[in-house]
Amino acid sequence: MVPGSTVGIVANPMSGRDIRRLVAQASVFPNAEKTNMVVRLLAAAGAAGVERALVSTDGMGVAGGVVRALAKRRASAGRLPHLEFVELDALTGTADDTRALVVAMRARGAGVIVTLGGDGTVRAAAATCGDVALLPLSTGTNNAFPEMWEATVAGTAAGLLATDRVAADAVTHRSKVLHVVCGPTREVALVDVCVSTVTHVGSKALWQPATLRELYCAFAEPHAIGLSSIAGLLHPAARTDPHGVVVTLADPATADRTVFAPIAPGVVAPIGIRDARDLPAGVPRRAAVERGTVAVDGERELEFGPGTPVTVTLARAGPRVLDVRATLAAAAARRLLVHQRVPTLQSAP
Amino acid sequence: MTGTLTQAPAAELTPDALLDAYRTMRTIRDFEERVHEEFATGDIPGFVHLYAGEEASATGVCSHLDLRDAIASTHRGHGHCIAKGVDVMGMMAEIFGKLTGSCRGKGGSMHIADLSKGMLGANGIVGGGPPLICGRALASKLKGDGGVAVAFFGDGASNQGTTLESLNLASIWNLPAIFVAENNGYAEATSSTWSVATDDIADRAAAFGMPGVIVDGFDFFAVHEAAGEAVARAREGGGPTLIEVKFTRYFGHFEGDQQLYRADEVRNARENLDCLKVFRARVTGSGQLTDDQLDQVDQEVATAIAASVVAAKAAPKPGADDLLTDVYVSYQ
Repeated sequence: MVPGSTVGIVANPMSGRDIRRLVAQASVFPNAEKTNMVVRLLAAAGAAGVERALVSTDGMGVAGGVVRALAKRRASAGRLPHLEFVELDALTGTADDTRALVVAMRARGAGVIVTLGGDGTVRAAAATCGDVALLPLSTGTNNAFPEMWEATVAGTAAGLLATDRVAADAVTHRSKVLHVVCGPTREVALVDVCVSTVTHVGSKALWQPATLRELYCAFAEPHAIGLSSIAGLLHPAARTDPHGVVVTLADPATADRTVFAPIAPGVVAPIGIRDARDLPAGVPRRAAVERGTVAVDGERELEFGPGTPVTVTLARAGPRVLDVRATLAAAAARRLLVHQRVPTLQSAP
Repeated sequence: MTGTLTQAPAAELTPDALLDAYRTMRTIRDFEERVHEEFATGDIPGFVHLYAGEEASATGVCSHLDLRDAIASTHRGHGHCIAKGVDVMGMMAEIFGKLTGSCRGKGGSMHIADLSKGMLGANGIVGGGPPLICGRALASKLKGDGGVAVAFFGDGASNQGTTLESLNLASIWNLPAIFVAENNGYAEATSSTWSVATDDIADRAAAFGMPGVIVDGFDFFAVHEAAGEAVARAREGGGPTLIEVKFTRYFGHFEGDQQLYRADEVRNARENLDCLKVFRARVTGSGQLTDDQLDQVDQEVATAIAASVVAAKAAPKPGADDLLTDVYVSYQ
């Protein structure tokens, strides 16, 4: 056990149940499984020698499930970190809870914070995490930013960082962020910003290709799900590249070029393309659409009209993110988890 | 291409359609606020359960329906009736128990029905509506008339066997049925976070092999969009959908409820989430409607509701001879 080492775990209890379950085949992720993930993270962090774990509380049974699961845990199941539940004065049921929990975990010494949720959860955590590294695990609808990792593996990586057995500079990277200005309103996105002609925020999700006009991506991976897959299959940009991608979209019925992209779970659609190019950091771009909505990380959040210009700027000032693959590769290279039995005199030849 | 993606963008609501939606929501609100006042005077017999705060649900769903379609309602049914086109004059008279009422004054608040409008009735039986709409949806499917049937029910009814059996039946028969779970947080005085075993009512859809979605019940546009997809899916033979609408009712479970079981959550909802306020801000902000247009609707609705109360109070009550009419047995 490494004194002073602390891991934070924020499990967003708000489950993804939006319209993509009706217009597509988006998954249902029950809170009981988030509880299981927290328990697996704790087990791995304990095995990695983490002294303390800070776990979020909620009004929907995730933290309660952790208490019940640990009460039934067998004594032979291995050590756990000392568990501290982080309680807020009042739960709001909104992203404010995530922001406040992250603030509290920083204040109590978390060296790394694992988030269970979707792109929105990471966006909320990023607002208050400062320089503390995040490890975002996917439990949402179609997540481009958090990755799908088995919680046991993720917990091991978090434990290696929290116990200072890997260097933060070697296994984390500063992610990018897209700043949106829409009149007096400010928003940020960690993955993509999409300007569409849909007039109202409505049910939030975007799934109709003919309404999409401009897509700004902080990064674009060919293996992504969601809107950033459009850019990822056409003009990829890595999470660690200095630039992003901007795509001008067109009606697929009339466009010269289309790309088949998985824009929602179960939906691979032809998307009309007019142009795709690098999006340099620090250069504001003004949307050419006169009226519509702006979606951040796949969800319509802002409505704008002719008197409200929309600008999008890429910046390299997002949250610091723990790279699970790099962490465990470093652990393997340095044999951090390998224990070599030292021959005793009796067993020596 | 795979999936059930809607290729064409949803038709944007025209200014006239937006005005209609606002008029419906405003009519429900004014109707309920006035019944709240009138009930306190003691002139209204029986119980009333008010729908104020929940207007975006009935309006967002019913704006996709026409006379081919039917709805079944709950004990909190005034909003559903108005959104499905039941005459407000007849409704007010019915609540006052008068002969000019929708059901000749014999049903009262909890039994307003108008089959000519596809309104199968408010219903005092919790969980009574879902089986009814399975029958209606089966009829539409067999006739091939393109009709869709919708059951509105509450979080309390979501735990009733009738509701769960109906979800199963609608799924195995692939019925053009839509189940709208109006979750206002309380079954009478019991919190749904305690009484509903799943995180959300929408979760139950997966067990019955149908899509389940959650929408913000204060947001007409969110309800309208989800309901539009569900109705289109049902009309095209895609089967049933469960939509969970989350919001807060502004009044108690019934008029006279002391509401000792809940904190002051209504004030926040009225001030910050109210569907009429949100709607006005959205459509004026986007330039689709003006405040003057909406103010005019407010005045017209206020006049109509006032007239309905005057007429209801002046109308005659059913007499002794009416006891033996409108029943299944002929006493003539």
